[in-house]
Amino acid sequence: MYAWLNGPGQVFHDPLPNSTNYLSAYDKAGRLIRAQDANEKSRSKAEQDKEEAENEEDPDAQEASSEEADAARLRREARRQEQESKGDGNKVSSESMEDLRPFPQNTQFMSQPVLSVELRDEIFRRVKDGGLDVRTVSAQLGVAIERVGAVVRLKTIEEEWIKQGKKRATPYQTAILSMLPTTPFDATSPISTSSTRSRAPTLAHEPINDLPVHPATRPQLFVPVSESRVFTRTDAAAAFSASLLPAHARIPHPQLVHAERYRASGMTDREVRERVEEDEREREEREREREVRRREDEARRMRVVQGRRWDFRFEDVRVEDVGRDGLSERGVGWRYGAPHDDRKRGKVKIPTRVG
Amino acid sequence: MVVRIRLARFGKRHQPIYNIVVANARTARNSKPLEVLGTYDPIPKQSASGEGRKYKDIKVDISRAKYWLGVGAQPSDPAWRLMAMLGLIEPKYRPGGMQQGREMHEQPIHVQESVQDRAHVAQA
Repeated sequence: MYAWLNGPGQVFHDPLPNSTNYLSAYDKAGRLIRAQDANEKSRSKAEQDKEEAENEEDPDAQEASSEEADAARLRREARRQEQESKGDGNKVSSESMEDLRPFPQNTQFMSQPVLSVELRDEIFRRVKDGGLDVRTVSAQLGVAIERVGAVVRLKTIEEEWIKQGKKRATPYQTAILSMLPTTPFDATSPISTSSTRSRAPTLAHEPINDLPVHPATRPQLFVPVSESRVFTRTDAAAAFSASLLPAHARIPHPQLVHAERYRASGMTDREVRERVEEDEREREEREREREVRRREDEARRMRVVQGRRWDFRFEDVRVEDVGRDGLSERGVGWRYGAPHDDRKRGKVKIPTRVG
Repeated sequence: MVVRIRLARFGKRHQPIYNIVVANARTARNSKPLEVLGTYDPIPKQSASGEGRKYKDIKVDISRAKYWLGVGAQPSDPAWRLMAMLGLIEPKYRPGGMQQGREMHEQPIHVQESVQDRAHVAQA
Protein backbone atom coordinates (compact mmCIF):
# COMPACT_ATOMS: atom_id res chain seq x y z
CA MET A 1 0.00 0.00 0.00
CA TYR A 2 2.79 2.41 0.92
CA ALA A 3 4.55 1.56 -2.31
CA TRP A 4 1.51 2.82 -4.17
CA LEU A 5 0.99 5.82 -1.90
CA ASN A 6 4.56 6.96 -2.35
CA GLY A 7 4.71 5.94 -5.99
CA PRO A 8 1.88 6.24 -8.50
CA GLY A 9 -0.58 7.40 -5.84
CA GLN A 10 1.51 10.45 -5.05
CA VAL A 11 -0.33 12.51 -7.67
CA PHE A 12 -3.56 12.27 -5.72
CA HIS A 13 -1.98 14.02 -2.75
CA ASP A 14 -2.24 17.26 -4.70
CA PRO A 15 -5.14 16.60 -7.06
CA LEU A 16 -5.23 18.30 -10.41
CA PRO A 17 -7.58 21.29 -10.20
CA ASN A 18 -10.65 21.36 -12.46
CA SER A 19 -10.39 17.68 -13.24
CA THR A 20 -12.30 14.59 -12.19
CA ASN A 21 -9.00 12.99 -11.02
CA TYR A 22 -10.27 9.50 -11.67
CA LEU A 23 -7.86 6.60 -11.29
CA SER A 24 -8.23 5.58 -14.90
CA ALA A 25 -6.88 8.90 -16.16
CA TYR A 26 -3.41 7.92 -14.91
CA ASP A 27 -1.16 5.11 -16.07
CA LYS A 28 0.54 2.60 -13.80
CA ALA A 29 3.47 4.88 -13.19
CA GLY A 30 1.15 7.67 -12.02
CA ARG A 31 1.46 9.84 -15.11
CA LEU A 32 -1.50 11.64 -16.57
CA ILE A 33 -2.27 9.82 -19.81
CA ARG A 34 -3.84 12.74 -21.63
CA ALA A 35 -0.91 15.01 -20.75
CA GLN A 36 1.44 12.58 -22.52
CA ASP A 37 -0.85 12.51 -25.53
CA ALA A 38 -0.92 16.30 -25.56
CA ASN A 39 2.88 16.39 -25.60
CA GLU A 40 2.92 14.12 -28.59
CA LYS A 41 0.37 16.23 -30.34
CA SER A 42 2.08 19.50 -29.56
CA ARG A 43 4.75 18.59 -32.09
CA SER A 44 2.16 18.78 -34.85
CA LYS A 45 0.35 21.70 -33.30
CA ALA A 46 1.72 24.22 -35.72
CA GLU A 47 0.00 22.38 -38.55
CA GLN A 48 -3.28 22.31 -36.62
CA ASP A 49 -3.20 26.04 -36.09
CA LYS A 50 -2.79 26.52 -39.78
CA GLU A 51 -5.86 24.36 -40.41
CA GLU A 52 -7.94 26.30 -37.94
CA ALA A 53 -7.00 29.54 -39.57
CA GLU A 54 -8.11 28.16 -42.91
CA ASN A 55 -11.43 27.06 -41.44
CA GLU A 56 -12.12 30.47 -40.07
CA GLU A 57 -11.35 32.06 -43.39
CA ASP A 58 -14.19 30.46 -45.33
CA PRO A 59 -17.45 30.80 -43.39
CA ASP A 60 -19.47 29.16 -46.19
CA ALA A 61 -17.88 25.83 -45.51
CA GLN A 62 -18.63 26.25 -41.81
CA GLU A 63 -22.28 26.98 -42.36
CA ALA A 64 -22.90 23.59 -43.87
CA SER A 65 -21.76 21.83 -40.75
CA SER A 66 -22.33 24.64 -38.29
CA GLU A 67 -23.16 22.27 -35.46
CA GLU A 68 -19.90 20.37 -35.70
CA ALA A 69 -18.01 23.61 -36.07
CA ASP A 70 -19.79 24.95 -33.02
CA ALA A 71 -18.89 21.91 -31.00
CA ALA A 72 -15.30 22.09 -32.12
CA ARG A 73 -15.12 25.79 -31.27
CA LEU A 74 -16.57 25.19 -27.81
CA ARG A 75 -14.07 22.47 -27.16
CA ARG A 76 -11.23 24.66 -28.39
CA GLU A 77 -12.32 27.50 -26.18
CA ALA A 78 -12.62 25.29 -23.14
CA ARG A 79 -9.16 23.97 -23.80
CA ARG A 80 -7.77 27.46 -24.28
CA GLN A 81 -9.32 28.66 -21.04
CA GLU A 82 -7.89 25.72 -19.20
CA GLN A 83 -4.48 26.36 -20.61
CA GLU A 84 -4.66 30.02 -19.76
CA SER A 85 -5.61 29.27 -16.19
CA LYS A 86 -2.68 26.96 -15.78
CA GLY A 87 -0.16 28.99 -17.61
CA ASP A 88 1.78 27.67 -20.54
CA GLY A 89 4.16 25.57 -18.49
CA ASN A 90 1.89 22.57 -18.00
CA LYS A 91 -0.54 22.14 -20.85
CA VAL A 92 -3.27 19.61 -20.11
CA SER A 93 -6.11 19.01 -22.51
CA SER A 94 -9.68 18.61 -21.27
CA GLU A 95 -10.88 15.17 -20.32
CA SER A 96 -11.71 12.72 -23.04
CA MET A 97 -14.26 9.95 -22.66
CA GLU A 98 -11.59 7.56 -21.37
CA ASP A 99 -10.82 9.89 -18.48
CA LEU A 100 -14.42 9.95 -17.30
CA ARG A 101 -14.51 6.40 -16.00
CA PRO A 102 -14.55 6.43 -12.21
CA PHE A 103 -14.33 2.63 -12.04
CA PRO A 104 -11.36 1.27 -14.02
CA GLN A 105 -12.84 -2.25 -14.22
CA ASN A 106 -16.19 -1.02 -15.49
CA THR A 107 -15.50 0.43 -18.90
CA GLN A 108 -19.19 0.93 -19.65
CA PHE A 109 -19.76 3.44 -16.86
CA MET A 110 -19.04 7.06 -17.74
CA SER A 111 -19.38 10.09 -15.54
CA GLN A 112 -22.26 12.11 -16.95
CA PRO A 113 -21.81 15.88 -17.13
CA VAL A 114 -23.86 18.19 -14.90
CA LEU A 115 -25.20 21.62 -15.81
CA SER A 116 -22.69 24.42 -15.50
CA VAL A 117 -23.66 27.50 -13.53
CA GLU A 118 -23.90 29.59 -16.72
CA LEU A 119 -26.23 27.09 -18.38
CA ARG A 120 -28.45 26.96 -15.29
CA ASP A 121 -28.63 30.75 -15.17
CA GLU A 122 -29.43 30.87 -18.88
CA ILE A 123 -32.28 28.35 -18.47
CA PHE A 124 -33.79 30.38 -15.66
CA ARG A 125 -33.32 33.65 -17.54
CA ARG A 126 -35.12 32.33 -20.62
CA VAL A 127 -38.03 30.95 -18.63
CA LYS A 128 -38.43 33.87 -16.25
CA ASP A 129 -37.38 36.94 -18.21
CA GLY A 130 -37.85 35.58 -21.71
CA GLY A 131 -41.26 34.16 -20.90
CA LEU A 132 -40.55 30.98 -22.87
CA ASP A 133 -42.20 27.76 -21.86
CA VAL A 134 -40.23 24.87 -20.45
CA ARG A 135 -40.59 22.75 -23.56
CA THR A 136 -39.11 25.41 -25.87
CA VAL A 137 -36.18 26.10 -23.56
CA SER A 138 -35.57 22.38 -23.33
CA ALA A 139 -35.40 22.11 -27.12
CA GLN A 140 -33.22 25.19 -27.44
CA LEU A 141 -30.59 24.16 -24.94
CA GLY A 142 -30.66 20.38 -25.25
CA VAL A 143 -31.69 19.81 -21.65
CA ALA A 144 -34.47 17.41 -20.73
CA ILE A 145 -37.84 18.94 -19.89
CA GLU A 146 -37.83 17.54 -16.36
CA ARG A 147 -34.38 18.98 -15.73
CA VAL A 148 -35.41 22.41 -17.02
CA GLY A 149 -38.41 22.30 -14.66
CA ALA A 150 -36.17 21.33 -11.76
CA VAL A 151 -33.73 24.14 -12.54
CA VAL A 152 -36.54 26.68 -12.62
CA ARG A 153 -37.97 25.48 -9.30
CA LEU A 154 -34.62 25.44 -7.56
CA LYS A 155 -33.53 28.79 -8.94
CA THR A 156 -36.82 30.28 -7.73
CA ILE A 157 -36.06 29.00 -4.25
CA GLU A 158 -32.52 30.35 -4.53
CA GLU A 159 -33.85 33.80 -5.43
CA GLU A 160 -36.14 33.71 -2.42
CA TRP A 161 -33.24 32.77 -0.20
CA ILE A 162 -31.17 35.62 -1.54
CA LYS A 163 -34.07 37.95 -0.79
CA GLN A 164 -34.32 36.60 2.75
CA GLY A 165 -30.58 37.02 3.17
CA LYS A 166 -29.92 33.33 3.70
CA LYS A 167 -26.39 32.10 3.29
CA ARG A 168 -25.70 29.94 0.26
CA ALA A 169 -23.14 27.15 -0.03
CA THR A 170 -21.32 28.69 -2.98
CA PRO A 171 -17.84 27.36 -2.03
CA TYR A 172 -19.33 23.89 -1.86
CA GLN A 173 -20.86 24.32 -5.31
CA THR A 174 -17.57 25.57 -6.74
CA ALA A 175 -15.67 22.67 -5.23
CA ILE A 176 -18.12 20.05 -6.49
CA LEU A 177 -18.40 21.53 -9.97
CA SER A 178 -14.61 21.69 -10.28
CA MET A 179 -14.50 17.91 -9.82
CA LEU A 180 -17.33 17.04 -12.20
CA PRO A 181 -17.59 17.23 -15.96
CA THR A 182 -19.96 20.08 -16.83
CA THR A 183 -21.91 21.15 -19.90
CA PRO A 184 -20.77 24.65 -20.85
CA PHE A 185 -23.01 27.33 -22.30
CA ASP A 186 -21.95 29.41 -25.26
CA ALA A 187 -24.11 32.49 -25.77
CA THR A 188 -22.62 33.28 -29.19
CA SER A 189 -23.72 30.04 -30.79
CA PRO A 190 -26.65 30.60 -33.18
CA ILE A 191 -27.98 27.14 -32.48
CA SER A 192 -28.56 28.02 -28.84
CA THR A 193 -31.56 30.12 -29.82
CA SER A 194 -33.21 27.82 -32.36
CA SER A 195 -36.10 25.82 -31.00
CA THR A 196 -36.70 23.98 -34.26
CA ARG A 197 -33.31 22.40 -34.63
CA SER A 198 -32.07 20.04 -31.97
CA ARG A 199 -28.58 20.72 -30.80
CA ALA A 200 -25.75 18.54 -31.95
CA PRO A 201 -25.10 15.64 -29.59
CA THR A 202 -21.78 17.20 -28.70
CA LEU A 203 -23.47 20.42 -27.59
CA ALA A 204 -26.60 19.03 -25.97
CA HIS A 205 -26.55 18.24 -22.30
CA GLU A 206 -28.39 14.98 -22.83
CA PRO A 207 -30.66 13.30 -25.36
CA ILE A 208 -33.96 15.15 -24.98
CA ASN A 209 -36.30 13.30 -27.28
CA ASP A 210 -36.12 9.79 -25.85
CA LEU A 211 -39.32 7.80 -25.82
CA PRO A 212 -40.30 7.09 -22.22
CA VAL A 213 -41.14 3.43 -21.57
CA HIS A 214 -44.84 3.23 -20.88
CA PRO A 215 -45.84 0.40 -18.50
CA ALA A 216 -48.44 -0.75 -21.02
CA THR A 217 -45.69 -1.53 -23.53
CA ARG A 218 -43.70 -3.76 -21.20
CA PRO A 219 -45.37 -7.13 -21.83
CA GLN A 220 -44.19 -9.07 -24.87
CA LEU A 221 -46.95 -9.11 -27.41
CA PHE A 222 -47.50 -11.29 -30.48
CA VAL A 223 -50.04 -9.75 -32.81
CA PRO A 224 -50.75 -11.68 -36.00
CA VAL A 225 -51.06 -9.23 -38.87
CA SER A 226 -51.69 -10.03 -42.50
CA GLU A 227 -48.83 -9.20 -44.82
CA SER A 228 -50.95 -6.93 -46.93
CA ARG A 229 -51.79 -4.68 -44.00
CA VAL A 230 -49.79 -1.56 -43.24
CA PHE A 231 -48.97 -1.81 -39.55
CA THR A 232 -48.11 1.64 -38.20
CA ARG A 233 -46.98 2.95 -34.84
CA THR A 234 -50.59 3.87 -34.13
CA ASP A 235 -51.64 0.25 -34.68
CA ALA A 236 -48.81 -0.92 -32.44
CA ALA A 237 -49.94 1.42 -29.65
CA ALA A 238 -53.54 0.26 -30.04
CA ALA A 239 -52.35 -3.34 -29.80
CA PHE A 240 -50.77 -2.63 -26.43
CA SER A 241 -53.58 -0.61 -24.97
CA ALA A 242 -56.69 1.05 -26.36
CA SER A 243 -55.86 4.37 -24.73
CA LEU A 244 -52.13 4.38 -25.48
CA LEU A 245 -50.90 7.13 -27.79
CA PRO A 246 -48.54 6.17 -30.62
CA ALA A 247 -44.82 6.54 -30.02
CA HIS A 248 -44.47 9.68 -32.14
CA ALA A 249 -47.05 11.44 -29.97
CA ARG A 250 -45.49 10.35 -26.69
CA ILE A 251 -41.99 11.74 -27.25
CA PRO A 252 -41.25 14.96 -25.36
CA HIS A 253 -40.53 17.06 -28.47
CA PRO A 254 -42.65 15.99 -31.43
CA GLN A 255 -42.18 19.47 -32.91
CA LEU A 256 -38.51 18.68 -33.62
CA VAL A 257 -39.59 15.77 -35.81
CA HIS A 258 -42.10 17.99 -37.60
CA ALA A 259 -39.41 20.61 -38.14
CA GLU A 260 -37.10 18.05 -39.71
CA ARG A 261 -39.94 16.94 -41.95
CA TYR A 262 -40.65 20.49 -43.06
CA ARG A 263 -36.97 21.02 -43.68
CA ALA A 264 -36.78 17.88 -45.78
CA SER A 265 -39.69 19.15 -47.88
CA GLY A 266 -37.53 22.09 -48.92
CA MET A 267 -38.57 24.87 -46.56
CA THR A 268 -36.04 27.42 -45.42
CA ASP A 269 -35.06 27.68 -41.76
CA ARG A 270 -37.21 30.77 -41.32
CA GLU A 271 -40.29 29.12 -42.83
CA VAL A 272 -39.74 26.06 -40.69
CA ARG A 273 -39.56 28.17 -37.58
CA GLU A 274 -42.74 30.06 -38.43
CA ARG A 275 -44.58 26.87 -39.29
CA VAL A 276 -43.51 25.14 -36.08
CA GLU A 277 -44.47 28.16 -34.01
CA GLU A 278 -47.85 28.19 -35.66
CA ASP A 279 -48.30 24.50 -34.90
CA GLU A 280 -47.37 25.15 -31.27
CA ARG A 281 -49.85 28.01 -31.04
CA GLU A 282 -52.60 25.79 -32.42
CA ARG A 283 -51.74 23.03 -29.99
CA GLU A 284 -51.79 25.44 -27.06
CA GLU A 285 -55.12 26.85 -28.25
CA ARG A 286 -56.60 23.36 -28.44
CA GLU A 287 -55.37 22.54 -24.97
CA ARG A 288 -56.74 25.77 -23.58
CA GLU A 289 -60.13 25.11 -25.14
CA ARG A 290 -60.19 21.61 -23.71
CA GLU A 291 -59.32 22.97 -20.27
CA VAL A 292 -62.07 25.61 -20.51
CA ARG A 293 -64.58 22.96 -21.55
CA ARG A 294 -63.51 20.75 -18.66
CA ARG A 295 -63.91 23.60 -16.20
CA GLU A 296 -67.32 24.53 -17.55
CA ASP A 297 -68.44 20.94 -17.35
CA GLU A 298 -67.18 20.70 -13.79
CA ALA A 299 -68.84 23.99 -12.81
CA ARG A 300 -72.11 22.67 -14.20
CA ARG A 301 -71.92 19.48 -12.18
CA MET A 302 -70.17 20.64 -9.02
CA ARG A 303 -71.59 22.72 -6.20
CA VAL A 304 -69.47 23.68 -3.25
CA VAL A 305 -71.06 24.48 0.09
CA GLN A 306 -68.79 26.08 2.65
CA GLY A 307 -68.87 24.44 6.02
CA ARG A 308 -67.26 25.60 9.20
CA ARG A 309 -64.25 23.35 9.01
CA TRP A 310 -64.34 22.00 5.47
CA ASP A 311 -66.15 22.40 2.20
CA PHE A 312 -68.79 20.02 0.97
CA ARG A 313 -68.41 19.30 -2.73
CA PHE A 314 -71.61 18.07 -4.27
CA GLU A 315 -71.33 16.39 -7.63
CA ASP A 316 -74.50 15.88 -9.60
CA VAL A 317 -74.62 12.31 -10.89
CA ARG A 318 -77.16 10.19 -12.67
CA VAL A 319 -78.91 7.33 -10.94
CA GLU A 320 -79.46 5.57 -14.26
CA ASP A 321 -75.72 5.07 -14.73
CA VAL A 322 -75.79 1.86 -12.69
CA GLY A 323 -77.60 0.16 -15.55
CA ARG A 324 -80.62 -2.07 -15.52
CA ASP A 325 -79.07 -4.71 -13.26
CA GLY A 326 -77.60 -2.08 -10.94
CA LEU A 327 -74.12 -3.57 -11.26
CA SER A 328 -72.46 -1.32 -13.82
CA GLU A 329 -69.15 0.10 -12.68
CA ARG A 330 -70.06 3.50 -14.09
CA GLY A 331 -72.78 3.86 -11.49
CA VAL A 332 -72.36 5.58 -8.18
CA GLY A 333 -72.34 3.93 -4.79
CA TRP A 334 -72.19 0.46 -3.39
CA ARG A 335 -73.18 -2.13 -5.94
CA TYR A 336 -75.50 -4.48 -4.14
CA GLY A 337 -74.77 -8.12 -4.82
CA ALA A 338 -71.47 -7.50 -6.59
CA PRO A 339 -68.46 -9.03 -4.85
CA HIS A 340 -65.66 -6.86 -3.50
CA ASP A 341 -62.97 -6.38 -6.08
CA ASP A 342 -60.40 -7.89 -3.74
CA ARG A 343 -62.57 -10.95 -3.10
CA LYS A 344 -62.55 -11.98 -6.72
CA ARG A 345 -60.69 -15.07 -7.85
CA GLY A 346 -57.11 -14.48 -8.88
CA LYS A 347 -56.76 -11.06 -7.24
CA VAL A 348 -53.41 -10.60 -5.55
CA LYS A 349 -53.95 -8.87 -2.23
CA ILE A 350 -50.30 -8.36 -1.37
CA PRO A 351 -49.17 -5.00 -2.74
CA THR A 352 -47.02 -5.62 -5.79
CA ARG A 353 -45.74 -2.11 -6.17
CA VAL A 354 -45.14 0.94 -4.03
CA GLY A 355 -46.80 4.31 -4.59
CA MET B 1 -94.64 2.25 5.30
CA VAL B 2 -92.60 5.45 5.35
CA VAL B 3 -90.07 5.94 2.61
CA ARG B 4 -86.92 7.47 3.96
CA ILE B 5 -83.83 9.06 2.48
CA ARG B 6 -81.03 7.84 4.69
CA LEU B 7 -77.41 6.79 4.75
CA ALA B 8 -76.20 3.19 4.49
CA ARG B 9 -72.74 2.58 5.83
CA PHE B 10 -70.37 0.62 3.65
CA GLY B 11 -66.62 0.54 3.31
CA LYS B 12 -64.16 -0.91 5.77
CA ARG B 13 -63.20 -0.37 9.35
CA HIS B 14 -62.14 3.28 9.80
CA GLN B 15 -62.87 3.86 6.12
CA PRO B 16 -66.61 4.43 6.01
CA ILE B 17 -68.37 5.40 2.83
CA TYR B 18 -72.06 6.00 2.87
CA ASN B 19 -74.63 5.35 0.19
CA ILE B 20 -77.39 7.95 0.16
CA VAL B 21 -80.37 5.68 -0.39
CA VAL B 22 -84.11 5.79 -0.67
CA ALA B 23 -85.50 2.85 1.30
CA ASN B 24 -88.50 1.72 3.25
CA ALA B 25 -88.02 2.83 6.84
CA ARG B 26 -88.31 -0.61 8.41
CA THR B 27 -85.79 -2.40 6.24
CA ALA B 28 -82.28 -3.10 7.50
CA ARG B 29 -79.65 -0.43 7.13
CA ASN B 30 -77.61 -2.08 4.39
CA SER B 31 -80.41 -3.95 2.69
CA LYS B 32 -81.09 -3.37 -0.96
CA PRO B 33 -82.80 0.02 -1.20
CA LEU B 34 -85.41 1.32 -3.59
CA GLU B 35 -82.79 3.53 -5.17
CA VAL B 36 -79.21 4.67 -4.57
CA LEU B 37 -79.20 8.45 -4.87
CA GLY B 38 -75.48 8.85 -4.39
CA THR B 39 -72.60 8.54 -1.94
CA TYR B 40 -71.24 10.52 0.98
CA ASP B 41 -67.59 10.26 1.94
CA PRO B 42 -67.35 11.53 5.52
CA ILE B 43 -63.55 11.68 5.63
CA PRO B 44 -62.31 15.18 4.75
CA LYS B 45 -59.75 15.20 1.98
CA GLN B 46 -56.93 17.60 1.29
CA SER B 47 -56.72 18.87 -2.27
CA ALA B 48 -53.96 17.41 -4.43
CA SER B 49 -51.83 20.53 -4.14
CA GLY B 50 -51.92 20.21 -0.35
CA GLU B 51 -53.24 23.73 -0.01
CA GLY B 52 -56.60 25.29 0.60
CA ARG B 53 -59.48 24.05 2.69
CA LYS B 54 -60.26 20.42 3.13
CA TYR B 55 -63.35 19.05 1.47
CA LYS B 56 -65.78 16.19 1.65
CA ASP B 57 -66.90 14.47 -1.50
CA ILE B 58 -70.61 13.97 -2.00
CA LYS B 59 -72.19 12.57 -5.13
CA VAL B 60 -75.90 12.81 -5.46
CA ASP B 61 -78.50 12.77 -8.22
CA ILE B 62 -80.19 16.07 -7.43
CA SER B 63 -83.18 15.66 -9.72
CA ARG B 64 -83.98 12.22 -8.26
CA ALA B 65 -83.55 13.60 -4.73
CA LYS B 66 -86.02 16.36 -5.57
CA TYR B 67 -88.46 13.81 -6.90
CA TRP B 68 -88.31 11.62 -3.80
CA LEU B 69 -88.70 14.63 -1.50
CA GLY B 70 -91.63 15.71 -3.63
CA VAL B 71 -93.42 12.41 -3.21
CA GLY B 72 -92.96 12.47 0.54
CA ALA B 73 -89.76 10.66 1.34
CA GLN B 74 -88.53 11.67 4.79
CA PRO B 75 -84.80 12.34 5.14
CA SER B 76 -83.05 11.12 8.27
CA ASP B 77 -81.16 13.81 10.20
CA PRO B 78 -77.81 13.37 8.43
CA ALA B 79 -79.55 13.08 5.07
CA TRP B 80 -81.61 16.18 5.94
CA ARG B 81 -78.39 18.08 6.50
CA LEU B 82 -77.07 17.14 3.06
CA MET B 83 -80.35 17.88 1.31
CA ALA B 84 -80.51 21.24 3.09
CA MET B 85 -77.03 22.10 1.87
CA LEU B 86 -78.24 21.58 -1.67
CA GLY B 87 -81.13 23.92 -0.95
CA LEU B 88 -83.74 21.23 -1.49
CA ILE B 89 -85.22 21.68 2.00
CA GLU B 90 -84.91 24.12 4.88
CA PRO B 91 -82.10 23.26 7.29
CA LYS B 92 -83.16 21.68 10.58
CA TYR B 93 -80.09 22.62 12.52
CA ARG B 94 -78.12 25.77 11.84
CA PRO B 95 -74.33 25.58 11.70
CA GLY B 96 -74.04 28.02 14.60
CA GLY B 97 -76.47 25.97 16.72
CA MET B 98 -78.74 27.79 19.21
CA GLN B 99 -80.33 30.32 16.90
CA GLN B 100 -82.19 27.76 14.83
CA GLY B 101 -85.53 28.11 16.62
CA ARG B 102 -85.78 31.87 16.26
CA GLU B 103 -84.78 31.93 12.60
CA MET B 104 -87.05 29.12 11.73
CA HIS B 105 -89.96 30.98 13.28
CA GLU B 106 -89.09 34.15 11.41
CA GLN B 107 -88.89 32.45 8.06
CA PRO B 108 -91.78 30.30 7.03
CA ILE B 109 -90.40 26.95 6.06
CA HIS B 110 -92.33 26.03 3.00
CA VAL B 111 -90.52 23.04 1.70
CA GLN B 112 -90.00 21.41 5.05
CA GLU B 113 -93.64 21.79 6.01
CA SER B 114 -94.91 20.64 2.72
CA VAL B 115 -92.65 17.60 2.86
CA GLN B 116 -93.77 16.77 6.36
CA ASP B 117 -97.40 17.38 5.54
CA ARG B 118 -97.19 15.03 2.64
CA ALA B 119 -95.48 12.48 4.81
CA HIS B 120 -98.31 12.73 7.32
CA VAL B 121 -100.78 12.26 4.56
CA ALA B 122 -98.85 9.27 3.36
CA GLN B 123 -98.75 7.83 6.87
CA ALA B 124 -102.43 8.43 7.37
